[in-house]
Amino acid sequence: MNNRELAVRTWNTTALPVIVLEKAGGIYAPVFQNDAASALCPDGFLTDIMPEDMRQKLVSTELPTGQMETPLFLPIDTHVYSVVPFDWEDCRVCMLHDVSQYYQQTQQMINDAIMASQAKTTFLSEMSHDIRTPMGAIIGMTDIALMQEEMPARVRECLGKIKVASGHLMSLLNEVLDMSRIESGRILIQEEEVDMADLLHEILTVVRPQADAAHLRFTLQLGKMAEERLMADSVRLKQICLNLLSNAVKFTPEGGSVELSLAVTPADQSDRVHLHMQVKDTGIGMSPEFIQKVFVPFEREEKSTVNKIQGTGLGMAITKNLVDLMNGSITVESRPRQGTCFSVDIPFMACRDHYNVYQKALSGKRILLFDNDRERAASITDMLSRIGVVTDTAASAEQAVDYINDMAFSDEEYFAMLTSEKGDDVEILLFLPQIRQRMGADFPILLMSEHDWSQLEYVYTQAGVSSFIPLPLFSTRLSAGLYAFSPEGKREAREEKEQNLNFRGKRILLAEDNAINREIALELLGMMNLQIDTVENGQLAVERFRDTSPDYYDMILMDIQMPVMNGLEATRTIRSLPCSDAQDIPIVAMTANAFVEDVKNSLEAGMNAHIAKPLDMNQVHATLEMFLGRGRP
Amino acid sequence: MRPYQQQYISNIEKILSLSDLSPESPENTLRFLEERKNKKQAIGELVRQNTSLLREELFPLLDDIISASQDSIDDLVSFSEALTPGARRLDNLLSYTIHNALLVYARHWNLRDMLIRELYNTAMDLFYLQSLIDSAAKNRYRWKMRMLFGEAASFIKVYDDIIRPEIRGYIHRSMGNLALGYTNDTDESTQKKMNAIRQSLRILTDPAYHEKTPSLPWSSFIYKSHQERTTSLSSLRSGSTDPLVIREVMESAEYVWNRQLENSQKTGKPLSNRWHMTYEVAQYHCGIYTLDYLLTCMEEMYMRRDTRDYTLEGIYNNIFIPSMYAEYLSHNSHYRNAKKEVLGHMYRMMLRYVRSVPADQVSVSLIRNLMNIFQTFIEYPDGVKQKDFLLQLVVCRMPEEFIYLQMTASVAEMLMKKVLESEPALLLGVLELDTTEQVLAAGDRLTRFAYESGMFHDIGQLNFTQMTSMATRSWLSEEKNLYQLHTKIGADILARCESTRLYADTAAGHHRHYNGQGGYPEDYSREGKPNQPVTDMVSLASFFVRLLDNNVDYTRSPLTLSQAMERVREESGRRFSPDLVRIFLTMETELADYLENGEAEACHLALQYLNQEE
Repeated sequence: MNNRELAVRTWNTTALPVIVLEKAGGIYAPVFQNDAASALCPDGFLTDIMPEDMRQKLVSTELPTGQMETPLFLPIDTHVYSVVPFDWEDCRVCMLHDVSQYYQQTQQMINDAIMASQAKTTFLSEMSHDIRTPMGAIIGMTDIALMQEEMPARVRECLGKIKVASGHLMSLLNEVLDMSRIESGRILIQEEEVDMADLLHEILTVVRPQADAAHLRFTLQLGKMAEERLMADSVRLKQICLNLLSNAVKFTPEGGSVELSLAVTPADQSDRVHLHMQVKDTGIGMSPEFIQKVFVPFEREEKSTVNKIQGTGLGMAITKNLVDLMNGSITVESRPRQGTCFSVDIPFMACRDHYNVYQKALSGKRILLFDNDRERAASITDMLSRIGVVTDTAASAEQAVDYINDMAFSDEEYFAMLTSEKGDDVEILLFLPQIRQRMGADFPILLMSEHDWSQLEYVYTQAGVSSFIPLPLFSTRLSAGLYAFSPEGKREAREEKEQNLNFRGKRILLAEDNAINREIALELLGMMNLQIDTVENGQLAVERFRDTSPDYYDMILMDIQMPVMNGLEATRTIRSLPCSDAQDIPIVAMTANAFVEDVKNSLEAGMNAHIAKPLDMNQVHATLEMFLGRGRP
Repeated sequence: MRPYQQQYISNIEKILSLSDLSPESPENTLRFLEERKNKKQAIGELVRQNTSLLREELFPLLDDIISASQDSIDDLVSFSEALTPGARRLDNLLSYTIHNALLVYARHWNLRDMLIRELYNTAMDLFYLQSLIDSAAKNRYRWKMRMLFGEAASFIKVYDDIIRPEIRGYIHRSMGNLALGYTNDTDESTQKKMNAIRQSLRILTDPAYHEKTPSLPWSSFIYKSHQERTTSLSSLRSGSTDPLVIREVMESAEYVWNRQLENSQKTGKPLSNRWHMTYEVAQYHCGIYTLDYLLTCMEEMYMRRDTRDYTLEGIYNNIFIPSMYAEYLSHNSHYRNAKKEVLGHMYRMMLRYVRSVPADQVSVSLIRNLMNIFQTFIEYPDGVKQKDFLLQLVVCRMPEEFIYLQMTASVAEMLMKKVLESEPALLLGVLELDTTEQVLAAGDRLTRFAYESGMFHDIGQLNFTQMTSMATRSWLSEEKNLYQLHTKIGADILARCESTRLYADTAAGHHRHYNGQGGYPEDYSREGKPNQPVTDMVSLASFFVRLLDNNVDYTRSPLTLSQAMERVREESGRRFSPDLVRIFLTMETELADYLENGEAEACHLALQYLNQEE
């Protein structure tokens, strides 16, 4: 039996397609194929239907040693076979394995990788352009501003433009960083108690002006909010909403509309609710092909209308990832030129409501509601009646004054006034000061507005407003707003403040040479129940620290510029002392020199942190809490 | 009072006497013009002086009222009293400004008695400010008035802690005056007014309070509350049939009338027509008398009027009775025709009366009653026309304004002629003329229309006679806001009668800018107004005339013709139609010709009107 016959006998019965080649004239030629191979190619040898380069590889004298450089894939009909040649005795045997499934998966991965690579390349080139554009503006405007020696107005104009360009650049970078964090799994969802009223208000204060500027009609469809306080990551939830809404605004031409619908389902037995959100627009829409890729990073549809719009193509990918992180779902429906609708569904835990607390504190109280939106006034009256608050509604100043006068002649009195920004017959900013004068300095006047409070605060506070409630109005937010002015609410706030400010039992060494600054620091820190020792320079601070028993002080607040020995030197000296706590005691710099370099110097000298002067109560408190923890109750 | 305060009051008196332009006969046109010019100069000087007295002396004090000395506060109190002696209001807005500052002072230093008094005083000033714009159906000050009266009245809760009787008096007065904050325009408002009076009367008639403060004029307070309640008769005239309102009005009318009778018997003074009439009208509305009886009664009382009495009683007899008479006639076609002659006579006599009022006797009540005439004015085909009545009223009460209107009308007429000559297509649609041929054929009608629109466009100023013809200082911003209502008031008056309806749109829109971006009123729209080109002409003409001769602000220097033309040119496309400005600028020579004698002609015409026998 020669080698060929041996080969035929060996491979004849194999289920895998096999073809045997025999060396002839310096190359290999097919001499036999088994039934399985013939089934694939009944009219000849399999080598006949192979691509030329594959066939050449098989018939050449030398097979590459070890693993083939690249696997040989032979497509036949709907299947793909891996062709594995090996030399067997004097013959060459080619065995075919059906790798259709593997091949397709691999191919898909390859395609994906290619696409991703292409998208990243495109993105980089676009990002490069997108980053360069605002940078160009920033550099150019800075140059122009530097040249304006005598023209502060022009400088201001330049700075304004620089600010806009910087803002754009910042948002670009933020998106890129966000995407990178998400991809590397570094974003964690941090749940906290979120008031949906506040969240929605914040969203609307951003989106409404955007929609107005783009000449779009923006509507809010508020469905049933069965729960208004949820355990959620407010920053990320807001990001999801704003991404969808900003996109809708961006891709809807002038005159169109954007609608936000929101609802929260009632809590199930385990307090779980679902937030349903829909963002619908009448914009340019998306092709069915693009819808498949809308959540893929760096993807933007190739359209002339889209190309004019700034963006990184990351927004939707970030949104999808955030929704996934929250165990929610996001779907999209869209048709070109007819608009797009994104639907989001996210589960959250509902928070324990405070209704009972509010009801107990507010039941039986009477408030004056000033609002010429009859529908809203009716809804507020309804909300308040549920916690036992009686409402007198006035749509005009005349009605309001009548109520106030009637009340003045009766034995009752108003607990508070809740006012919108509009009355039928009066300019609200002229009316409220009169109310404030009439009702006295302590009477709560709460303003309801859909605008950003920080923009209104100065004017309305001057006009007599005591507090703010965001619109659209949610009953918990409304009740909480009023509750804050009840004796119980005030006590709660006071206790919370006291608790926040309580560092009882903690001892601090304060090194400060300026007498007034020392007095201010003493006053502020004293309010937090701290025990404070003071010294006038760094040298004295070192000595005092050295001469006290270990752990006597919990912290040192160190001014930097001081006579005899400055704060940096004092810190370095303290750190080098042989005391057991010299290395560990927190030393916090207290200085007006807030340049990066100063902060760096103080850290290098061994300080742990830095508080800017003039002292800001919140910052001082946060720093103390960071190093001292909470004091004894 | 401080010297500057005395000086201010004395200047006001001087201005009032200078404002009384009483020309004698048409022959004296030149003398009148000369006198007018001299008086205007003198008034301008006094106005400037008063303005700087306030700017330099008063306003710095008001700006820092909290740190004012007790002496300064006392002087301010005296000054504000001098600004509003009795029922006269020499400078109501300034009085309001001062009382407001005193209010701030009282609140800041927690001076309860002063606070109560100043709440009352400030609210009273607001009441007079509100009276000024009642005819515009605007309630700008009403809520605030009620707020202040209400706050003062709410001190009734601590009545026993307040020692001084006069301060307790302010509490009662404020409580009674809360009713002044309501109109009788709607049933709801009338109800509230009646409630307020009921509440006030309940306290005023409570013997416990009389015992606590026996020195207060309780019967006078009660009497005044009843008087106020009778004003709700107007709601009965408008058709209200609320039985409680009818009963209470009747009760009050009877109360007041009985007191009048007692008083007359005691003092021998004649009975007041005003309260007698009120009593009779109340009886009529209670179904006791017939309309025929009531009208006869009114006629009899009217015949007992004193045509030289400028007090409230005189104003009631000479002006209010005729306008009430007209109102009753307007609801009954039979008497409307039957009493035509009587009403016509009343109108003519009324004009004569109005003409005779000396400038220093012109009061808020007079103006309010005059404006009320137009609410009820009845025109008969062959009777007195509102159109003529208005012109007569303007010429006799505001001759300065008449001259300005006449000049504006003439310039508008010239402009119309020029447009007809050069670009008649600009007038398509005016007076429903749809083709250029129709426009050209209606030349005379259009010219007359432009002229008369010019004559009537500013008729709403009648409401602000005291502010314009008798301004005693530069205006405060609130006055400017109030004055802007003259467009609405004028348009409302003109729209009510057939003879003037055509000019209502011009009155409404002559201060609104062509480009819709400025001027007032903001809600005026050019859309759907086919006669807008005529309004545009009058708007331009009135602006131009005021540049040459400003009869509202005497302190402003007049411009020359070329300066005025330049100003008009600057306003092209913004304030005025560019087409009209283009045509107007070609008229400089004609305008120069007209202006040589224009003022004298206007003045002559005014004198003719004034000397016209009714």
